[in-house]
Order: sequence, then structure tokens, then C-alpha cells
Amino acid sequence: MSLRFVSGKLLGALGTFAFVIVFNFFLFRVVEGNPVGTLFRGRNLTEAQRAELRHQFGLDGSKLDQFWHYLVQLAHFNLGRSYETNATVISEIGHAAWPTVVLVGVSTLLSTIIGVWMGIVAGWRRGSWRDHGLTSFTMATYAMPDFWLGMLLLIAFAVLLGWFPIGGISDPASTATGFSKLLEEAHYLVLPCATLTVAYLGEYSIVMRSSLVDVKQEDYLVLARAKGLRDALVRRRHAVPNALLPVVTLIAINFGFVLSGAIAVESIYSWPGLGLATYHAIRAPDLPMLQGLFLVFSASVIFFNLLADLAYAYLDPRVRTA
Amino acid sequence: MTTVAAASSARRIAWARRRRALRRAVGDFGHSRSGLVGLAILVVVVAFALAAPLIANHDNLDPSKTLDTPLWASPAKHGPLGTDSEGRPIWDQLVYGARISLLVGLAATVIAMVIGSAVGIAAGFYGRWTGAVLMRLTEWFLVIPFLPLAIVLAAILGPNVRNVIIVIGITSWPGTARVIRAQVLTLKERLYVERSRALGASNRHLMLRHIVPNVSPLILANTTLTVPIAILSESTLSFLGLGDQQKPSWGRMLDEAFSNGAIGQNAWWWYLPPGIGIVLVVLAFTFVGHALEEVLDPRLRERRS
Amino acid sequence: MNRTRTIALAAVSCVAGLTLLAGSGLAAKKATVTLTVGLTQDIDTLNPAVGQLVPDYEVWNLQYATLTRKSAKDFSTIPGLAQSWRSSNHGLTWTYTLRPHLKWSDGVPLTSADVAYTINRARKEQWLNYTAFIGNLTAKAPNPRTVVITSSVPDPRLPGLGDTYIVPMHIYDKISKANLTKYAAQDGVGSGPFTLETYVKGQYWKMKANPGYWQGKPAVDEIVFRVFTNSDAMVFSLQKGELDVIDNPSPASFKDLQKTKGIVAVQGQQGSFDELALNGYNGKPPRSKKFSSPNPALADLRFRQAIAMAIDKQALVSRAYGGIGVAADALSPSADPEWTPKIPASLRYDFDLDKAKKLLDSAGYKDTDGDGIRNLPNGGKDIVLRYLIRSESIYAKPISDFVTAWLKDIGIGTKLSVYSDSQLTVEIGKGAYDMFTWGWTPFVDPDPQLSYFQCDEVAHDASDFTNYYNDASYCDPTYDKLYAQQRVELNHAKRVAIVHQMLTRFYRSAVYDVLEYTPELQAYRTDRFTGWLQQPAKIGPVILTNTSPTYFNLKPIKTSTSGFSAVSVGGIGGVLLLVAALGLLGASRPVQARAAREERSTKPGC
Repeated sequence: MSLRFVSGKLLGALGTFAFVIVFNFFLFRVVEGNPVGTLFRGRNLTEAQRAELRHQFGLDGSKLDQFWHYLVQLAHFNLGRSYETNATVISEIGHAAWPTVVLVGVSTLLSTIIGVWMGIVAGWRRGSWRDHGLTSFTMATYAMPDFWLGMLLLIAFAVLLGWFPIGGISDPASTATGFSKLLEEAHYLVLPCATLTVAYLGEYSIVMRSSLVDVKQEDYLVLARAKGLRDALVRRRHAVPNALLPVVTLIAINFGFVLSGAIAVESIYSWPGLGLATYHAIRAPDLPMLQGLFLVFSASVIFFNLLADLAYAYLDPRVRTA
Repeated sequence: MTTVAAASSARRIAWARRRRALRRAVGDFGHSRSGLVGLAILVVVVAFALAAPLIANHDNLDPSKTLDTPLWASPAKHGPLGTDSEGRPIWDQLVYGARISLLVGLAATVIAMVIGSAVGIAAGFYGRWTGAVLMRLTEWFLVIPFLPLAIVLAAILGPNVRNVIIVIGITSWPGTARVIRAQVLTLKERLYVERSRALGASNRHLMLRHIVPNVSPLILANTTLTVPIAILSESTLSFLGLGDQQKPSWGRMLDEAFSNGAIGQNAWWWYLPPGIGIVLVVLAFTFVGHALEEVLDPRLRERRS
Repeated sequence: MNRTRTIALAAVSCVAGLTLLAGSGLAAKKATVTLTVGLTQDIDTLNPAVGQLVPDYEVWNLQYATLTRKSAKDFSTIPGLAQSWRSSNHGLTWTYTLRPHLKWSDGVPLTSADVAYTINRARKEQWLNYTAFIGNLTAKAPNPRTVVITSSVPDPRLPGLGDTYIVPMHIYDKISKANLTKYAAQDGVGSGPFTLETYVKGQYWKMKANPGYWQGKPAVDEIVFRVFTNSDAMVFSLQKGELDVIDNPSPASFKDLQKTKGIVAVQGQQGSFDELALNGYNGKPPRSKKFSSPNPALADLRFRQAIAMAIDKQALVSRAYGGIGVAADALSPSADPEWTPKIPASLRYDFDLDKAKKLLDSAGYKDTDGDGIRNLPNGGKDIVLRYLIRSESIYAKPISDFVTAWLKDIGIGTKLSVYSDSQLTVEIGKGAYDMFTWGWTPFVDPDPQLSYFQCDEVAHDASDFTNYYNDASYCDPTYDKLYAQQRVELNHAKRVAIVHQMLTRFYRSAVYDVLEYTPELQAYRTDRFTGWLQQPAKIGPVILTNTSPTYFNLKPIKTSTSGFSAVSVGGIGGVLLLVAALGLLGASRPVQARAAREERSTKPGC
């Protein structure tokens, strides 16, 4: 992979991020009529502190002045203070980031593996009952709102069967530490993770399936079968790796979107991640938090898109030379 | 005289050709089993929504007018679908909610389609600077994750039906734009050959007479596939409390069911019907959309064999 | 067996095995005696000088001892930090003798200096929660165990000072007045039976027993207060045994709990009420342009009366409150019902939509543009009221469904907005509302609750607009005069009469529509602790009461060890599945070898 290619993609990503930053400013300073009141309504600030913050963010200057100050503060990672907790937005986001990364990471991994597997099984024998069954299943789960699926799983497994807790990430009264603490958190992770996994595996399955269908007709597979290789080997050694290419891109792109898609699911399970923080910020309404979360979500999507582009180029030599 | 006759017969030929294409398309569509199923479901749901005043009572949405109905009643005790925590019958909410969910889904899609098509056609047609700039703009909007943007806009603009439609519309257009642009680029290749033969044909003429009619089927198919996304988005926004609090919608029904303890009260008649409704409508539009795609997109038609 | 399938099966077994192990790990026994409380409302701040929410008071009741306490039976004054007292100078001076060897939880001795410091500083700086109680008091500390308190006017409540939380001078002395509102008060230094250990906003806070508490170390080692956003989850946790006591379940689940064995469901009366408050700002006291103005129609008494007549409180009780509670007329200023007047039928605003419509017509609010919403007189705008509700309340939304429907019926539009508690306080302080619903839990003496509606409690300082209590924004000089009168009236019957007069007047102003007297819905398990106290006896709630005496009184019930239970079954099952997983993985290898052999034999030669 040439340096020129990589730097080109990097510049593109930075350009997109620049757009997001400007867009963010536009949303919160221009569209919303009262920027002074908006950013620093926190209860326990003294007048002196308010004046200082107004100066920091240049809120009494012209729009251009404000924009400059906005950039400066952004460079210092100063996103304002949450109305609710009065802590800085960046620290609140920092606390909430890890649970979401765990939830989204694990569920993306699982939905990729399971979805791809389903896609392979369905695509290899197109038209079989296996194909129909799996396709119906993935279509049904794709059509469900993810929070509704979450509610149903919660009712089935936590309420009716009682196998899992109703929500949260851990038991605050427990004194478990170390490995048993990890196991406890894994227990709480199961249902929200299952919800996100099932909700998103449909996409991988469908993409993998159609990709495999395309690849199946390629020349080199015909040759492999002519050689007398067993069907399973043809599939495993030749068809699947090539069909996986679009899936790779899909994983990376999806990670960015599942991150924000977890908003509804985290609110069902009271999973204290970025999604639940967004849900609470909506209900307050905590505009500085919403603004900060918006930036974080956008940045993650851009970042993972960049990774996807680079990964795809690495895996598929045809793309690099283009 | 001969030129007029030639022109009118040319037009007649064009119309005859279009009618034949339409008949073939309808015929192809009829072959798609899932497409027909989807269409059937859609017809039922739309009829359901349109017939709301006949099959449901608008007053039942107003809790001050339902003071005599029991609270939390199961369908057995108060049909046809029981009541909620304030004594409002679920049936009426479901029927009128269908209207809002469909209205928002369709209206938002129309906005997305209009903006997306305009941008897509322009981006594909006008090369160089305009095209590049428009494409960049599309890619930027594509990158912004839908839900956080929708939340921010809804929080700023305020939660009502009009704003939800706007929010979904302006977050959905990039997908359409990208697909349309790709198609326009392919068409443009063919066009340059013709253009060199044509005499003084203006850009506008080319766009209107050649691009738009050829892109329209794709727009139609893409639109039908955007509607389910819009409906799912509306349900998510309503569930998070960003929808119109004064009007029923399926997403809002699920939000109220969850917040008011339907889970604890085992009030399945409250949280199952709206979800099933959403699933059915989304599947229906998806089936119809895929069938349309196969019928109208020449590339896909080749692959089907 | 096919390799892919084998691996999949192994992976599933692995996950299942780990899950079971996790579950059994969860059920591990805890060494400390922990009381777990489920709540639906979070703390807003632990600073006793500025906090306003009910859970704040629960923490203060546990963390800060007071000079005198109130009995669980009937709120009568009993010794606290002070073991005895005597009065002099016709009841204007009280001398309290503190117990010996009092200490703060950080080891610093607690002396009369702390008491005098608290009272004097709170009075000087007008601390929000203290002014009603000590606004007329001056304290002196002639020696470390004696406090002399002098009141400038006769005070019917002395010697009772059970609401005045004594703060540690050695900590507060370092905080200037300007910084006091910012002080988070989370250092956990206190003199009560429990002190704060950790606080995670939106999730929980933990308090641990204070062995130095003057009454002795509590039998409970630790209390965990868990905040739930979904009351169903809270009820389930109680039923599963993860919680010992809960507050504020939904009415529907409360009815289920009443029928559940092993759980006691309590409907505690302590004078709490919910109200629909209108913005009654009428220009007094004057305030800067930084404040928002209410809709002009609200200044008109007839307009407000019409709104009062459009609320069917009985319907709200049975439909929005799920049948729990009693429809209210006058505000209840005390947990003791004798202070609440009965509004006679001739003065009541009974529910009557037609009467309301006629009143609006005659007052000049007609629908001049035919859109169904009445307009302000002289060709004014449509009357649309900004209606604010709390996101934390499960009743606020249902109530608003009804209220907006009735108002629409009489031709008044509403625009609903949802806010969290802390945001709502800001909006109310700024005056940026026309109406909202909230509630109060009064004290025992009516004075504090009455004090909130004085003229100078209307927010008027733009730099600190949340430091005010009068959320009716209504100023009535006659009310203020009557308030001052009852404050110094030592004759009980006369004092009750004055209070009744004040509250009837307040009712007639139609600024506060008190909707219902809300009982505290609570439930506790009978299998973990005994000693649950209701305050007042027999009719009150068990937690979140006026002085929360239950916590110190609870003792754990000795339970037999569970032995073979879900723990062991889970653990054994988990291990078996893991073993099965490993076995499957191992068994799959021969298949792999076979495949490789096959491949090699068919590679074409080049």
C-alpha cells in the first residue's frame, strides 16, 4: 500500500471531520437561537464563572469570533459542561465510552461471525429450504426496531424466565472483584449484546449471501470443482475468502453506525454507555452533552470508514492500483 | 406536413414502447411472489389507515373522554385490543397510529427522494466542479450517523410531526443521491454518442427527455426501499420521546408501554401490536422494493438467470 | 462431525458455561450487612444549604445529627445531640446541654461551636433550607457543651430544632459564601448514624455506618440506594430479593405487591401533595429583563379561575394516579392534617367545563380567528400556554394528557415540554413557563411550607435565580402579613386559624391547583430485616420520612446458609459445559487432518 494512497485517504477523512465540526457549530450556535443560555445554563456556576466561560467561548463576539473560539476550545477538548452533572462533557463522555465500546465491540464481532456463517449457508445452496429459512429469519429481524427486539428479549429471558438481570451493568451492592467481577458484568452483558447481535446480523448475512452467489460463478471456482475438490473445500478455501471482501468493509462501517444504533438498546437495558447518556441528555435536555456526543459519534464513523477503506485496499490488490 | 406526421408518429411510437415496457414490468412483477405478498400487505395496511374514522373512534385517543373504560384491560375484558394504563383503548391508537407512521414514512421519503434525486442527477450530469462538490457534500452527509443528528435536530427544533419528517428527510437523502448519480453516470456514457449526432440539443432538453425518464424507475425502486428505513427511524425517534407527544404513533405507543410498566403488568396487547405492525409494513415495503428493483433495474435482470 | 459445526457448538458451550459460572459467582455470600433501597429519584446535591429534592433530605437525615430529634410515633421533640434543655426569658432563650464525647466521623470533636456556627452562618447568609427554622435565632457557645439560642420573636416551635442539620465547622469554615453553592458536600463527614461513602450520579450512592454515632453503631453496616429509571425493574428487583425496600412503584405494580406474600406494601401519609402551578408573576417584586414573562392572560384572576374549573381532580385520581391518593383542594403544609383547611363549597372551584367557558367568554377571551383557540383581548395572539413536566415522574405525562385535553376543550392551547428535575428548576427560576406540575413533601411544622410563598421568595435576582422557593411566582402582601403573624403566635388554636385563613386565600388566588394528596407508595421484604418504623406511627411511610428513624432501628434476620442452591447448580453446569466445549474442540482435529490430506492429493502438477 503506497504512502500516497494512505495519505490520500487520511486527508479525505480529515476533510470530512472538518465538515462535521463546522456543521456542529452551525447546528448549535446558529440554528439554536440562544447560544449564551444554551451552553452554560448549569445551576451552580457563579456569575464570575459564567463571564469567564462566555469569554472562553467568545459568546459575546460576532459569529466569526465565536467560531474561532469554538475551534480553540475544541482543540483543548473543551466541550462545555453538562447541565445535569455540571462535570465537563469530555469527562462524562469518557466515563460512558467504555461500556459502549464493550457492548458494540462484542455484538459486532458476534453478528459478523454468525451473520457471515448464515450468509454462507444460505448462499451456497441458493433456493434450498436452508436458504429460505435463514433469509426469512434475517428479514424478520432486520424489519424489527432494535428497541422492540430488546423489549421482547428482556421480557422473555429476564422477566419470564429470570435468567438474566433486568438492566444495568453490575450489581452495586456486590463485593466481587477481579475475575468474578468480570463474570458478573458478562452476565449483565448477555441480553443487550444478544439484542444488538440479532438486530444487525441480517445485513452481514444478506451481503455475504449475495457476494457468495456472485463469486460462486467465477471461473476459478469452476476450475476447482473440475479438479474434483470436495464441495466444502471449494467453499472454504476459495469462495468464502473472496466473498468476504465486502463484509470487511461492512464490519468497519457498521461499527460506526451500531455505535449510535445502540442508543435505543442501551436505554432499554439501562446500560450506562454513550447511548444511555444520549437518552438522558435528550430528556433533560442537556444540549452541551448532545453536542459532544454528536461529535464523538460522527468522529467514530469517520474513523471506522477510514479503517474500512484501508483494510479493503490491503485485502484486495485490485483496489490499490486503481 | 411530413415532418409533423413524422413527429406525431414518433411520439406515438414512444408511447407504445412505454406501454409495452410497463406491461412487461407488471408481468415481471407478478412473477415475484414476495413482491405480491408485500403489495397485498401494503394494500391492507393503507386501507386500514385510510378507513380510520370508520373502524376506530378518534375520541378514544383522548383520555378525558374514556373515563369509563377499565385501566389495563386485556382484550378479553375490553375488545378488541384492550386498554392502556390511562384506560385508552389500544385498537384506536393502533389504527390512528398507522396513519402517523405511514404519513411520516412516506412524507420523509418524498423529501429525501426529491433532494436526493436532484442532487444525484446534478452531480452525475454536471461533471467537473459542480459534480465533484455535490458528490463531496453527499459523502459528508452520508458519514454523519443518522440517529445522533436526528436527536440533535429534534432537540433543537422541537418534537412535532413536521420536524420529524424534516429530520428524517434531510438525513436520508444521501443514500438516494449516491445511487442516482451512479445511474446517471452510466446513462451519460450512452448519451454522448447520441449527443454528437443531435444538433444543438440543450442540457435541459437532455436532462428532461433522456436522463429523468431513464432514471425514474430506479428512483421509484429506491424510494420504495427508503420508506421502511424512514418508518423504522420514526419509530425510534418516537420511542426516544422525540416524536409528537400529542399524536399517536406506533413508536410512541411502544415508548408509553415501556415507560408505564406494560412489561411488569404483562400487557402484551400494548407492546406487541405496534411492533408487529412496524415489522409488517417494513417487510411489505422491502419486498415490493426488491421486486421493483429486479423488474426495473436492467443490471439485476441479467443476473437473475 | 463437520468442523464448522463443531467449532460453533464448542463456542456456544463456552459461552453458556461462562454465563452459568458468572451467575453462580453472583450469588456469592456477602460478609457485611447491607440494606439495599430502590428509588426512582436521584439526589440533586448533597449540600444542605442548597439542595431541594426529597432524596437529599434522606441523606442529610442519616448523615447529620440535629440538636433535637422527632419521635417516630408522632414527631414530638426528643433529645438528639442535646441531652437536655431549659428555657428562660419567657421562652425567648433556650439553653441546650450537649452530650459528652461527641465526634464527627473523621474524628474531630463535635462541640457547641459547630452548632452555633451552623445557626449563625445559615441565618446571616440566608441558607435556603435553614431560614424558615433559624431565621430569627442567634446562637452562642459559652463552653464546648453548652449552646444558648435566643429568638428575636416568640417561636412556637422551640425547643424543637430537628430540621436544622448541624454542619462541620472545620470543613465549612474553609468555604467562602461565594463558593458555597458550588460545594458538592460529598466528603462524607457527618455525625449521624450513616455517612456517605460513594456517589455515582444516576445510578446509586452508598452510605456506611458511623461507629461514632452518639446512639451507637447501627446494626446495618451499609446502605445502598439504587436509582431506577424504570420502576418495573425496581419492583422486579424487590421481588427477586435484590432490593430490601422500594419507594414509588407504579400504582399498578403497587396493587400487585399488596397481594404478594413476604412483602409488606405501605401507603404512607405524610402530607405530600401534587400541584399544577401557574406562573402568577404580577410584577412584584420587580425584576430585570433577564427573566421571562408569563402569558399575559395569567395575570387575570378570572382566567386562572377558568383553568381551575377545567380540572377534574377526581378523574385524575382514578385515571392518572391509578386510583391511589385523594383529590385535594387546599395545600397541605404539614404531615399533620389539622393544619389543612377544608374549602367550603361556596369558595371551591368545582369541575365545570361549561362554567369555565362562560367565564372566559365574559372575561373577553374569545376565539377571534376561528382556529379553536381563544385569543388575547383586542386582537391578540392565540393563547398557548407553555406547559412543563418532569421526565422523572411517571404521573406527569398521564396528568398532562388529561389537562391538555380539558384545556383544549375550553379553548386554551398548550405546548408541552419535558425537563429533568434540575433543568426544570432552572426554567422555573427564569420564569420561562406558564404552568408545570410538581409536588411537595411538607415538614411537620407548617412554617417552612408556608414560607415558600412569600413575596421575597419569588425569584428576582438574575445572577442566582434558582435560590428561591416561590414557584407560584405569586406575591400577595396580605399573605406575607398573615405568615408573619402565625410565626410568633404561641396559642395553638389561634395559630391554626391564621394558617387556615392564609391557605384559603392562597387557594382562591387560583395560582396553585393542588391536585391530590399523594401517599408515599413503598414496599419492603419481611425476610431480611425487622424493625421497620412508620413515621408517624401506623399511617406514615417507612423511608423518606421526615427524620428517617427506621434505618437505625433495623436489625438483620439471621438466615440459614443456602447450601445446595442455584449457586452450586450453576457452577457445576458451567464447568460441565466448558469441559464439553474442550472435548468438542479436541475431537475435531482428525477431520482437519483428513481434509488437508485430500487437498494435497489433488493439487495439479505444474
